[in-house]
Amino acid sequence: SGAAWARGLLSWARPERWLASGSLFPLSCIHTSTSLQKIGKWEKKNRIVYPPQLPGEPRRPAEIYHCRREIKYSKDKMWYLAKLIKGMSIDQALAQLEFSDKKGAKVIKEVLLEAQEMAVRKHNVEFKSNLHIAESQTGRGRYVKRLRCHGKGMFGIMNISRCHYFVKLVEGPPPPPEPPRSGFEQAKEYVQQLRNRTLVHTL
Amino acid sequence: VLVLVRSPLPRLLTVLQRCWGRLERSLWPGVFGGQSPPWGPALAVQGPALVPQGINDVGESSAKAPSLLESVVWMAAPKHRRTIEVNRCRRRNPRKLIEVKRNIEVCPECGNLKQKHVLCGYCYAKVKEETRLIRMEIHKKEGGPLNAPAIETVVLYEGEKPTEKDGGKRIIERARKRPSWFVQN
Repeated sequence: SGAAWARGLLSWARPERWLASGSLFPLSCIHTSTSLQKIGKWEKKNRIVYPPQLPGEPRRPAEIYHCRREIKYSKDKMWYLAKLIKGMSIDQALAQLEFSDKKGAKVIKEVLLEAQEMAVRKHNVEFKSNLHIAESQTGRGRYVKRLRCHGKGMFGIMNISRCHYFVKLVEGPPPPPEPPRSGFEQAKEYVQQLRNRTLVHTL
Repeated sequence: VLVLVRSPLPRLLTVLQRCWGRLERSLWPGVFGGQSPPWGPALAVQGPALVPQGINDVGESSAKAPSLLESVVWMAAPKHRRTIEVNRCRRRNPRKLIEVKRNIEVCPECGNLKQKHVLCGYCYAKVKEETRLIRMEIHKKEGGPLNAPAIETVVLYEGEKPTEKDGGKRIIERARKRPSWFVQN
């Protein structure tokens, strides 16, 4: 009877039954990503899938989102480079960045080349030169505070700044730059604004 | 932004305080320490003017002499905070934006980009590498420093013979085919 009891116990604890079901804890299948860092919003923008287009619709240009996080550079200084390449074609942007003396230019050039490669391999872009930069932005990364020594035993607190860089490439030639608004245009708009004024809360 | 923080070492603090005290006592004798100043009476009298001299002395003695720490008042300092709109106007002014370079063109030799007034980076790196290898050969031939001969040098690649012009020159052999950009005289 002791052997029967032991067999009964072992039959309850059957490991092959657990392995057949998949895992010991069925809820562990949900969190399969190994990294604890949150996936940023910009990276998630590459995951949207549009429904197939109808035959009559104009072709939707491919959009590629790419970014690099925690670049050791100031976000204000990086912004000047991002502003430089906004609206350029990718070849022109790479040319400008190659001959720029700034530290962030090298980083942005790497990001653009990575994005171009991603576009050709994964996002069904036919010609790698047929891309233009629709959006290019910088963001603030994690700052670290450090002490900076001054004379007479005084200390200042300095920030070690990092930044993120975001870029959106769109297939197609770059859009033509909008013509600068002349004074006449501005005057016409002002007069139109004056004419649009009306009386409120009246009959 | 400079935020002055006192050092965490208490000994340095006390030493500093003592230094300050000694400095102030030496500069303005009589204001600290309870001794009467040489130029005015010890008692400050509030009332009608008895002696004009006395009022002047009273004013001087009652007024605290400005110490070095308070003389910072006369330094230039911003009066109001610059708003983000004003800051943006200054930072994004076209004067401060990076200019678009118009002097970039394609190198006819290798096809990389180059600036008009600068040598192509790729071609220069190519030539530099070859020169380094030639220099290594020269170093092997010479064997040490300060052994450079007083005659010209000629570099010959595989399958090349020295001509009559290269009679009296030192010959450096390179074990590879002649590169297309290194023209033989």
